[in-house]
Amino acid sequence: MKAIRAGRLLFGKDLRVLGRSRGLVAVLIGYPIVIAILLAIALSGGDRRPAIAFVNLDAGARTVQVGEERLSVDDYAARLEDDVDLVRLTPAQADEALADGRVSAVLTGPEGFITDLQSGLKPPVLQLATNPRSPIEAQAIERNLESAVFRLNQALATAYVTQVLNLVDLIQKGGTVGIFGRSGTLLGLEESERNLAQVQKALIADGKPALAKKVAGLRDYISGVGGNLELAKPAAQAIASPIRLEVREGPPGREPLSALGIAGALVVGIGLVGVLLAAALLSAEREDHVLSRLGRGLAGAGTIIWQKALLAAIACTIVGYVLLGIVALSTSITIGRWLLWLPALLLAGLASGAFGLLVGALARETRTALLAGLMLALPLAVIALIPGNDIAYWVSAFAGFGPAARIFQGLLVDPEVTSSTYVGMGILAVVALVYGVAARVALGRRMHA
Amino acid sequence: MGAPLLEARGITRSYGSFEALAPVDLTFARGERVALTGPNGAGKTTRLTILAGVQAPSGGTLEWTGESASKVGWVPQRPALYPRLTTRENLRLFAGLEGSDDPPATADELIRRADLGDFADRRAGALSTGTMQRLNLAIALAGAPSLLLLDEPTGTLSPDQRVRLWQWLADLVRSDDMALLFSTQSVEEAARHADRVIVLARGRLVHDGPANALDEASFMALVGDDA
Repeated sequence: MKAIRAGRLLFGKDLRVLGRSRGLVAVLIGYPIVIAILLAIALSGGDRRPAIAFVNLDAGARTVQVGEERLSVDDYAARLEDDVDLVRLTPAQADEALADGRVSAVLTGPEGFITDLQSGLKPPVLQLATNPRSPIEAQAIERNLESAVFRLNQALATAYVTQVLNLVDLIQKGGTVGIFGRSGTLLGLEESERNLAQVQKALIADGKPALAKKVAGLRDYISGVGGNLELAKPAAQAIASPIRLEVREGPPGREPLSALGIAGALVVGIGLVGVLLAAALLSAEREDHVLSRLGRGLAGAGTIIWQKALLAAIACTIVGYVLLGIVALSTSITIGRWLLWLPALLLAGLASGAFGLLVGALARETRTALLAGLMLALPLAVIALIPGNDIAYWVSAFAGFGPAARIFQGLLVDPEVTSSTYVGMGILAVVALVYGVAARVALGRRMHA
Repeated sequence: MGAPLLEARGITRSYGSFEALAPVDLTFARGERVALTGPNGAGKTTRLTILAGVQAPSGGTLEWTGESASKVGWVPQRPALYPRLTTRENLRLFAGLEGSDDPPATADELIRRADLGDFADRRAGALSTGTMQRLNLAIALAGAPSLLLLDEPTGTLSPDQRVRLWQWLADLVRSDDMALLFSTQSVEEAARHADRVIVLARGRLVHDGPANALDEASFMALVGDDA
């Protein structure tokens, strides 16, 4: 009871002190929010199209006939330019440009590309090399090119199917044909069947019924083939006209933010608020010389730690909801699961707050604590935003940022809340506990030194 | 001298193999004013912080006489208070932490006793050095202590502020029947404002006797080259 009373009194004192330190609050809370918003905008990507080098190693200038067109590797690449900006370079120039950062990736059409495309024996391959120093951009380019190649494949498939349908038409109705380098006149099934009917009639008139019967079997076969080809047409037409996704623009004046951008903003915002606020509050106790007074049984190290961790967690939760509110009001993104955000934001705040308390307990003065907190928290928070990288996740998990980033992304985009969200919350609780205990030990030593 | 209050037997403090405080037996009685003096590094502050409960001794025992006697008021050398809170808010907070049933009333009483009425609603950080030291002392009184420990209480005060502070401390000892133990670098201050003077040198007790038996010359003889 005494510890709870002491914690409640110190909690109220901290709120009062913060209320009177507007400059400090502006730095501790305003600065992270501004950084978070800027980061969200930056991670959203905007309309910037990264430059990609294109290297053509299929030097034979061979082409493949697709429908009415004859395509080379360069023509193939040109069709990708609707989605990305390609710069045609030699292999050496491309490697240099990638190393210098003048291009974000190198797309290579390897030798034998057209042969593979023409033969159909193995799928033609385009090779993509991205800059490992820009993993976020690399992932965006990969997704961009994947969708571009998918659309191009679809266009090629449509051209091929149209070509096949024309051939089917020729087989049925006859006409002039030019394919695979040859040309000639095709009789067609319908004309063949008509000719056979005349032959059958003439054989009967000549008193050769046995021969006429054989011709009748041939006419049945031709009729059957024609019927089957007719049945194949709708299936081929379905391939030629696949399902298309129509993307409509959102309401005017609203900037679309990606889930990564919002999660990044939350992680950086909450991370900085939690770490800086907790570090500043604890180191201020030391700077005010009150630790020796409190440590004489008025408030133990554990009480001071939990009350400040709770305050940091509540501040982080408020900042988190403010950022989510800004996103919900100023963008077209729908933020749901408002109640489930509460434990996620509280635990993320608790973890970063406990981390800040350890920094505050170790630092000798408030300025040192703030600087150390910023220097440790900012890179860890940014590392947490590297997508799909387990090493980055676990490095940033040291301050709870990695699990927080995944929980936030999951709450934003996952159709259902999965067990990984709850596992992430568990990790945050463990991180908070570990740093809380470490901060308590460090503070205890300071109080009784 | 009044009733016995505290017996500190064989209190020591070591840091690794270094013995900062040698074992010393000390007794304190109600109504007694005791000065702790000695050269720099003699162990004055360390001994005070152990008696105050700020740090634990490496050895020895503290034996208090009476059920509620073990309440200690601690006045560190640098004011230990919240500069962004007002005088009244500081006193209410520490009264609450000391377990007062009515912190606002306790704070008002302390404001009256410390003559802080004119500064009650002023932020502590804006107070003059002397007024801040009075607040520092008033906070230590919030728990109604029977032993008041002060670490060089007049180190930063002007002469007139010192006079006022010593007068108030003398009144407190009389009115509250408490014991007073203060550290000081000044032999003259120790002799003038204490009933008894304890002299330490290199963590060891070199003198414990009536204040009127100590002067500058005898002090120098006791501490030798350490002074």
